[in-house]
Amino acid sequence: MRRKLILFLLCCGLVITARAQRVIDFKLDGSEQGKSLATYLHELEVSQQARFYFLPEWLDKFSFQESNRGQNLGEALDDFFRGSDLYYVSMYANVVVIVKDPTQALQRREAIQAAIKQNKKIVRYSFGDPGKSARSQIIISGNVVDAKDNEPLFHANIQLGTTTTGTTTDEAGHFSLRLTPGVHVLNISSIDFETKVIDLVAYDHGAINIEMEKAAILLDEVVVNAQAEQELTISRIGEVQLTMKEIKRAPSFLGETDIIKQVQNLPGVTTVGEAASGFNVRGGSVDQNLILFDGLPSFNSSHVFGFFSAFNSEAIQDVSFYRGGIPAEYGGRVSSVLDIRSRDGGFEKWSGSAGIGLVTSHLMVNGPLKKDKTSLAASFRTTYSNWLVNSIRTDYADLRNSSIAFYDGTAKLTHVYNKKTRLSVSSYISKDGFRLTGDTTYQWHSVQVAARVDHQFTPKLSSEFIAGSSTYGYHVLNDEARTASDLSYKITTTVLKAGFHYQQGTHKINFGWQLMHYRFNPGSIRPTSPESNTKDFSLNKQTSIENAFFANDEWSLKDNLFLEAGLRLPLFLSFGPATINVYEQGLPREISTVTDTLHYGSGEITKGYSGLEPRVSLRWNVGPTASVKFGYNHLYQFLHLVTNSTAVTPVDIWQPSGTYFKPQQGDQVSLGYFKDFKQKNYGVSVETFYKRVKNVLDFKDGAQLILNEHLETDLLQGKAFSYGVETFVSKNNGRLTGSINYTYARAFRVINGPSTRESINQGNKYPANYDQPHVVNVAWKFNLTRRHFFTGNFTYHTGRPITIPLSVFSFENNTVAYFSSRNQYRIPDYHRLDVALVIEGNHRKTQRVKGTWIFSVYNVYARKNPYSVFFKSTGNGVPKAYQLSIIGTVFPSISYNMKF
Amino acid sequence: MKEPFVHKTKFQWLILFVMLMACVEKIDFDVPAANYQLVVEGMITDGPGPYTVTMSEAMNVNIDSMIRIPISKATLTLMDDSGKSETFTEMRPGTYSTTGVIQGQVGHAYHLRIETADGRTFESEPDVINPVGEVQDIRFEYEKRTVVESYGEVPADVFNIYVDADAGSEKENFVRWRFTGTYKVITDPAQHFTWNPPYLPYRNPFPCSGYMLTGGAPGGLLVQVGECACCTCWAKHFETAPQLSDMQLISGNQFKNVKVGEVPINSATFHEKYMVEVEQLSLSRTAFDFFKLIRSQKEGASSLFQPPSGEIRGNIKPVNNNDPVVGLFYAASVRKKTTFIQKDDVPYPLTPMEYITYPCYDIFDNASTTKPSGWE
Repeated sequence: MRRKLILFLLCCGLVITARAQRVIDFKLDGSEQGKSLATYLHELEVSQQARFYFLPEWLDKFSFQESNRGQNLGEALDDFFRGSDLYYVSMYANVVVIVKDPTQALQRREAIQAAIKQNKKIVRYSFGDPGKSARSQIIISGNVVDAKDNEPLFHANIQLGTTTTGTTTDEAGHFSLRLTPGVHVLNISSIDFETKVIDLVAYDHGAINIEMEKAAILLDEVVVNAQAEQELTISRIGEVQLTMKEIKRAPSFLGETDIIKQVQNLPGVTTVGEAASGFNVRGGSVDQNLILFDGLPSFNSSHVFGFFSAFNSEAIQDVSFYRGGIPAEYGGRVSSVLDIRSRDGGFEKWSGSAGIGLVTSHLMVNGPLKKDKTSLAASFRTTYSNWLVNSIRTDYADLRNSSIAFYDGTAKLTHVYNKKTRLSVSSYISKDGFRLTGDTTYQWHSVQVAARVDHQFTPKLSSEFIAGSSTYGYHVLNDEARTASDLSYKITTTVLKAGFHYQQGTHKINFGWQLMHYRFNPGSIRPTSPESNTKDFSLNKQTSIENAFFANDEWSLKDNLFLEAGLRLPLFLSFGPATINVYEQGLPREISTVTDTLHYGSGEITKGYSGLEPRVSLRWNVGPTASVKFGYNHLYQFLHLVTNSTAVTPVDIWQPSGTYFKPQQGDQVSLGYFKDFKQKNYGVSVETFYKRVKNVLDFKDGAQLILNEHLETDLLQGKAFSYGVETFVSKNNGRLTGSINYTYARAFRVINGPSTRESINQGNKYPANYDQPHVVNVAWKFNLTRRHFFTGNFTYHTGRPITIPLSVFSFENNTVAYFSSRNQYRIPDYHRLDVALVIEGNHRKTQRVKGTWIFSVYNVYARKNPYSVFFKSTGNGVPKAYQLSIIGTVFPSISYNMKF
Repeated sequence: MKEPFVHKTKFQWLILFVMLMACVEKIDFDVPAANYQLVVEGMITDGPGPYTVTMSEAMNVNIDSMIRIPISKATLTLMDDSGKSETFTEMRPGTYSTTGVIQGQVGHAYHLRIETADGRTFESEPDVINPVGEVQDIRFEYEKRTVVESYGEVPADVFNIYVDADAGSEKENFVRWRFTGTYKVITDPAQHFTWNPPYLPYRNPFPCSGYMLTGGAPGGLLVQVGECACCTCWAKHFETAPQLSDMQLISGNQFKNVKVGEVPINSATFHEKYMVEVEQLSLSRTAFDFFKLIRSQKEGASSLFQPPSGEIRGNIKPVNNNDPVVGLFYAASVRKKTTFIQKDDVPYPLTPMEYITYPCYDIFDNASTTKPSGWE
């Protein structure tokens, strides 16, 4: 019954603006003169079949004057009510509601006027009958979709007027909002889309459908504003949405837009070096970040050891980053989640973009295969960057004889069966080749295919199903005749996921199930020439599954209090065939202490782990411009990155948990305060966190990790903990916009085994490799004109810890360096300034090709920031410390991007 | 307005292309002075003594040449597990030797006690002599190689040295192979010239050549006063990193084809012939770990992705102080095998050795005029 009513009202809402003759347009004919307003309205009810809602005593003091002659009813009411606490709303053509205490209504008028000024689209909806309204609360729910392809827009903001109250859409583009009956204005905004304004008169529950249009005319203020609002009022603690447009305008190295680099500029995120692949979030190691591309985990996020992000920004629809308050839907890494979703092709017409930069070029095309039904999006990017490496001037000949090549491509096919069901199949491929010396080539690749079905069962229950498989692997090829070999490594991941979104009243519930199947080929080497003396050798393959159930409830407890509580139940199993050494109890794990060897058959479980992962995040809006947020996470991580270099290298090994490696367990508590000033012109936030992780892996001194059959003898597990304060100030409006963030954070480890051989630094606390106490990021954009922007960023962080030689001595004719305890020294501080001039082409919608020139200067004052410090023996065997600065000079670049 | 700007920028980056991007340069860290760190090196074997221990100060990382500063006047005592002890005698500054009271025996543990002249005491952990297998065979294989120098590619051929060996004890296999190469070199320091412009160069032999310039230079008379004491040397090559058994597969209690060293082929190393000496040592766990760390440091040194080296811990610990000390006094059973590589084994004729007019031990590393035992 109610559904029908809603549908009926919805239809009314859609047609209302089309009806011309409304009772408020009724021209006063003179018969009203001298009559009291209440009397006259009653007469009109009879003569015009109109309805007026009011209490007679409100209108006692008003009667018609000479000055009202010739006005229409609306104008007369405006005159009467001006300066009073009354206000009227014209609902249907013949219904007028007079409202007392018109804060709501006045706000609505203000908001609407502002919207008109800014040329925003306004759509009107009415639900229910004010005379019959008995409800004290109503619920407005709806869907937000992209008008172009009907793709649901998740994380769109629904904001109530100019207040901080609001919500966001979920994965399926749904939202629901609890309101008091009356008049409201909803601002619907989403990154890169034009803000839509809903003029809502609601006295009953209702559903609205919002189609958003891509912002073709660039309304930067709106975009930035939306971002700021989102941060302040709507988002979870520690959640950030990245806008592709802002990313594209930021200064970039070699003119390449880079998502990962942008993530590295967020508060609480650091990186160990210039071109370091991976990033560290709140004192977490690089392996603790879950990077999802269309729902599948990515094990390699970069090309060329971190020079470029592995994901072409043109192929990306949106990016969400969670560093705290991680929803239960995500799991498997203890520090953060970076969820990247690829874009769909357009359903109406073909379009594309292309870019030419100094070292890479990219092309993206998308369009309908069948109009409004099936679309395709495809992108490709490749490099011609060999000159880049060859131009490195160094005595270190290794780098000069190097070569670089990479490419990546995506393709996504989307088919809409009907309004309720859509299917998309996306694929991704990336390949890298890096020749370091004359003889050694590193090659690594990722390939993935994922299918996703979105289905809406009922307006309240929607779902998504993901099935996909990915492969990540690398080869280290040695061409030298006598040692010619191919060292290879591979992980194959298969993912199944079912997620459901259910909305009931003030609850938004997500629940589902996820299964990941991993197959590791942890290393094998084979000779590649007949005269090679390399032996054919393979480590045993490993198989594991990670199964999880999750449920999450976003609950609006009150208008200003939101609670999100979730639970995830992971189960991790490792399977045979496997051969596992048993070590003597109480002795360090070493080959000499092996007492037995256990053999497991195929499919036999070697070890299992399960746990409970509670997640809580709380948001309390303290007044209209401030909020306090709290988050708590408990997460398990079953895969460990085994590395003994500081930055991620593509030849690192992922090790599943098993008999000797317990899963990492992370707890994080965060608390934040967010405040807006001067009409959201400025935003300020402070967040603090404390995080501890059990069972982190670190290597023993001198550990050999590649092709190691018994890694447990070379690795140790211990505790990590970190804490910090992140401060953030942003200016969101005006010609100059930008932000400054400063973070103070520490990250430590304690690895205290039963003996010194199983401890690091005698079991004392030591700073983690990526402990960088002070981090400052400044980013700005100055609009020179509407199409010319001067952008820039400055970044500073404390140099990371390092282990260095303190002295040298000679032992049996070998010169040996005496190294400090682990991580007791630091490399020099890192700082860098980049600027860019962005010249955008004509903004007219009619322009066929929209071009953008980006001139950027990276490292303006030519700081030689050390990327790594390494030790090279000089002639006499004394190791000298050298720093390698990847970009040791000022580096200007130019790139041209166009959209067609 | 905009167009010229574009062109200008393009032009600038074209120039900047040529400029370097990355750079590698030296970096200095502020580290504590190294000279109060004690370095101890010594071993006891199951062979006849004397056993030697050297003591020196650690050197600063910024030094340009390795000059050991010996620590003299310390009192060193060797102790075995039966309570016997023997005091070392300082033979040269910083070099201490036993006199043969204690003879190392397989199965027994030994340790060292050090008391420096300023009263600091250090002690080594007891180390047991484990039995060791024999080196059965030493083989060499020619390998053609080049290295890239700043002026181009130059040949750098080598002989790779492989051994087959008995693993010895079946239980613990902490084996180390110690490679030493010896070759004979000839110089002619009697032909040394001195040239002080604007004067003409004149012949000015080194005194050790056996010739003397009488009557002052230049124009003096050259007189032979004795035999040349610096014309013939035996120079040594040592392993670049310790060779250890943890990387070797054992089959049937045998180590096969273990590469223990490389012999560079040039006119000096094969002036006459080359002596290869391989010692097989049984180590304790502690000594093995010590050499493993040295190896990882030596081998990792050439990689851009080198793993960070760790603190090298030996088995010497301070007793009545907290001063840093590094070193190892270890016990090992040693088996040795020697072989020669003849000049004819080099698959091509070598040019004659360069004519050098300096004392041989000043020119060649680890060279001495003493003929090593085993050289015929």
